[in-house]
Amino acid sequence: MFDNIIKPVLIFIPLALIQLTVIPMISVAGIAPNLIFVLIVFYTLKNGQAYGTILGFFLGFLLDLFSGGLIGAFMFSFTISAFIAGYFYNENKIELNTETFFFLLIIFICGSLNAFIYAAVSNSNSDINLFFLILEEGLLPGLYTSLFGLPMVIFTPKKGIL
Amino acid sequence: MLKFLRRLAADYKEYILLIILSVISLTLLSKSEKPQAKHLKTFALGNFALLSEITNSLTSIFKRDISLDELKQENAQLMLEVNRMRKLRSENDELREMIAFRDTSRYPLIPAKVISKLVTKTQGNFIINRGSSDEIKKGMPVLNEKGLIGLIMDVAENYSVVRTLNNSNLNIAVTLQRTNVDGILSYDGKNLVIKDIPTTYDVQVGDRVETSDFSSLFPPAIPIGVVVKKESNVLGLLHIITITPFADIPAENDLFVLKVLPSKQINDLEMNLLKQN
Repeated sequence: MFDNIIKPVLIFIPLALIQLTVIPMISVAGIAPNLIFVLIVFYTLKNGQAYGTILGFFLGFLLDLFSGGLIGAFMFSFTISAFIAGYFYNENKIELNTETFFFLLIIFICGSLNAFIYAAVSNSNSDINLFFLILEEGLLPGLYTSLFGLPMVIFTPKKGIL
Repeated sequence: MLKFLRRLAADYKEYILLIILSVISLTLLSKSEKPQAKHLKTFALGNFALLSEITNSLTSIFKRDISLDELKQENAQLMLEVNRMRKLRSENDELREMIAFRDTSRYPLIPAKVISKLVTKTQGNFIINRGSSDEIKKGMPVLNEKGLIGLIMDVAENYSVVRTLNNSNLNIAVTLQRTNVDGILSYDGKNLVIKDIPTTYDVQVGDRVETSDFSSLFPPAIPIGVVVKKESNVLGLLHIITITPFADIPAENDLFVLKVLPSKQINDLEMNLLKQN
């Protein structure tokens, strides 16, 4: 109960604070990493697809509320991309998935998808082309987000607080 | 039948869950601007923004600060500008008096600090440390010493959400200062653009852009930016004009809220015009 429900929410609060106050300082041309998504992928790979989908939905809702953005945008993008991240879940390979560089690859794939979905649902400008959406709204934020999975790989969960 | 459904639910529970949660998310997304959603957001914002403010004050020591020399230079330039303006003002006052023109150009400014930012390509939002207790209301323009930043969208007791110009949901009626060409300014995810300006209109790179008299959101003549590029569409009939804002919007931390709201009388008149059509 504590590990699966309360702990991610407790970790979410400081991460959301960092996301909204510190991350804007290190964003490059409007491209910023999403720390909350790293948390969601980590817990999805530990606990499975259904758990990850619900966690993505719930933390997305909280982030939508706290960021002052459109309610439902992060909720939807986190739900879908956590579901996709759930396909990488394997009960016998949890350590491989969360403690090796494979974790960064998963964050990159799902993070790109998350950023792309968020941009697609939150953007009201119909003139944006697909190439722009995929590259600048998807792949680059996904790549930047995957860099923030590096501490998880270097300081494995056994040593850290997670 | 029941057994079959139960088996189906067990086999495809992840998919069913995904569909249900996605439908809820999309429903909420479509109702994001409804009053109930706004109340919920305001409540959450009021509580969480306090934590953001504390974090922000801790991190502010790492933020870029303008050096003393730069400020001194700016002061000297402003002093010269003020002197020139004083002369023009007295002349302007005299002329206004002669034609009995009402002065609508002065509004009080409320200083505010950005305590958190949502950085995405299409959803530029700030949260500032001023709210309804400081007489901030939804719809007030937000600017700084360089130009327009955005618009107040949600107000909690001590905090407000600012929708910045870098938000694809904000469209503003603007005018080019030199030629009075009007257009609608929007954000395309990369740049501020004014679309569909006929190529026969006189638009040049370097023209200053400001809020228009026709804007129902902003008072007129708030500087926004400068034209940096103009491109013709495929047929060569219309221009797409790219604007660089005067304010460095993603980097701004100190703002002012202009204590003015769109005129209710004008809005009512506009509504009446719409009703007649």
